[in-house]
Amino acid sequence: MLLKAGSRSILVLIAVLIVLAIVPFFAGLFYQTFLTEILIWALFALSFDLLFGYTGMLSFGQALFFGLGGYAISIPIIRLGAGTGTCLILSILIPMLFAWFVGYFSVKLSGIHFVIITIIFALIGNTLGDTWTSLTGGDDGMAFTVSPLNLGIFQIDLMNISSSYWLVLGIVTLSYLFLVRLVESPLGKIFISIRENEERAELIGYNTRRYKLLSFIIAGGLSGLSGGLYSLTLKYSSADFLHWSISGHGVLYTIVGGTGTLSGPILGTVIIRLLEHHLTEFLKGTDLVVGIVLVAMVLLAPQGLVGLIKSVGRKESKHA
Amino acid sequence: MISSLAIAILNGVVWGWIMALIALGLNMIFGLLHIINMAHGTLFMLGAVSAWYLIEATGSFWIALIVAPLIVGAIGYILERTLLRTIEDNPITTIVCTFGIMITIQQLVLMIFGGTPKRLLTPIVARFPLFDLQYPLFRIAVAAFSIAMIIALWIFLNRFKYGLWMRAVVQDREMATAVGIPVDKVYTWTFVLGSALAAFSGVLAAPILSVEFSMGNHVLITAFIIVIVGGMGSLEGSVIAAILISLIQNVASVFVAPTLASVFALTFMIIVLLVRPEGLFGEKG
Repeated sequence: MLLKAGSRSILVLIAVLIVLAIVPFFAGLFYQTFLTEILIWALFALSFDLLFGYTGMLSFGQALFFGLGGYAISIPIIRLGAGTGTCLILSILIPMLFAWFVGYFSVKLSGIHFVIITIIFALIGNTLGDTWTSLTGGDDGMAFTVSPLNLGIFQIDLMNISSSYWLVLGIVTLSYLFLVRLVESPLGKIFISIRENEERAELIGYNTRRYKLLSFIIAGGLSGLSGGLYSLTLKYSSADFLHWSISGHGVLYTIVGGTGTLSGPILGTVIIRLLEHHLTEFLKGTDLVVGIVLVAMVLLAPQGLVGLIKSVGRKESKHA
Repeated sequence: MISSLAIAILNGVVWGWIMALIALGLNMIFGLLHIINMAHGTLFMLGAVSAWYLIEATGSFWIALIVAPLIVGAIGYILERTLLRTIEDNPITTIVCTFGIMITIQQLVLMIFGGTPKRLLTPIVARFPLFDLQYPLFRIAVAAFSIAMIIALWIFLNRFKYGLWMRAVVQDREMATAVGIPVDKVYTWTFVLGSALAAFSGVLAAPILSVEFSMGNHVLITAFIIVIVGGMGSLEGSVIAAILISLIQNVASVFVAPTLASVFALTFMIIVLLVRPEGLFGEKG
């Protein structure tokens, strides 16, 4: 082995990024849209994994922040004529603000009670989004047009599929790198220690509630950003973004890929999305396979695909 | 005004008894097996769907009311023996696993039963006057059936050996094994009983709601809230909470918009969760 594991994974990351960056030059518009969606869902799954995989909090209410991120794009654009850049920042900040509020109450609870309270908060959001049609457009949602994003020297035309793909790729990559730094940092280690043994972390002297809240807020911001990107690329947002099945997607992708790793949620999203896409061609109920895959993974490979790959790799190196 | 209030109260009580049956099953399964059963609403739906097929075949609602719970009980038996056995006592894992089961069963029903909601004819068409309006007698019968079932369950749990076993296992599983209680069997049959109860209420609710693959989703969330508010492990609490919550929701929707009423109800539950996480009637753990 010429390179250390760390520098090897950096090389892999750079190679993947280069391939992803040149996709628009050889792939059709359909695949670019498809990849854009995968990137956005991967970001959503990553935000869930920060909560569940790293801090040990199973939130079934991340759709609340996903939906809020969507509204943070559509409402300012439609009602105020705000610029795209401003809206993108809002799609992080507004969900973070709500995550602060929701998290302030939720992190007081743990286990099943935490799961239930996050579901209830998301349910309230969904009901309000459904009812308050004058602001949100309700179930039908709102469609809008996007002005080009001004980045100083150059402009990104978001009505163009390739350029919005590059924008999403850039933002998701930055978020991924941010998460890599975060989970390696002392703060990330505190999150993990809370997951492993909350009582012990508290006894060492950490204010675990504060760190859980912090993790909740960061995850809320990232979920919001993914919802914002989703609405920005669809040029549409609706109360369905807040539906609990959206939260279920995040749980599903992360569990299938592997919790507590950053590659897991991405791998899970890619696999499930590909599966769904190819199965629709000859099977009507694609979710059927998704459900079966989820049950099988929980029972047979609770560490997810990443865990499975790692254990296979370990066995092989033993044989060698 | 008085008549619509009276109807709201009656509807609240009737629906409360149906929800009590569902919540009881959910609570028993959690209390004993430590499974947080996300598929419980789906079992309720399976009850209603089986009833639809049975009524198509036999033409009798009453046959469906007896046979559908048996069918769903058998499905519960298979689920518990094959899938859930290995992950019991690990609540968080069971959430994800039963979530997968829920998706799978719902999609299967969607493929076989179709996506269009189907109506079930009410077996009792008689109505009785209530102030200046008419109220269907069938709903009163539904409440009566639910109450009868809950009394039967109470007798079963308190007067029979099996109920004694169940309580023993809840209190101390290892001790129960040591004195020769077949803990494995108690686990399986508790899950089967919970599944059958959900299906029974599914059949009762089928003529009131419309039968479709997603009809259990809303019920599931309400049932969870009832179990939490009533107190996990407290069966009496579940019954009281079911009727209380259903009454609040129905009566409130007379005065304010139904969605606003449900937002108030949800906020009330958040407060209960925060102030008394063990539930209104639960014992402090």
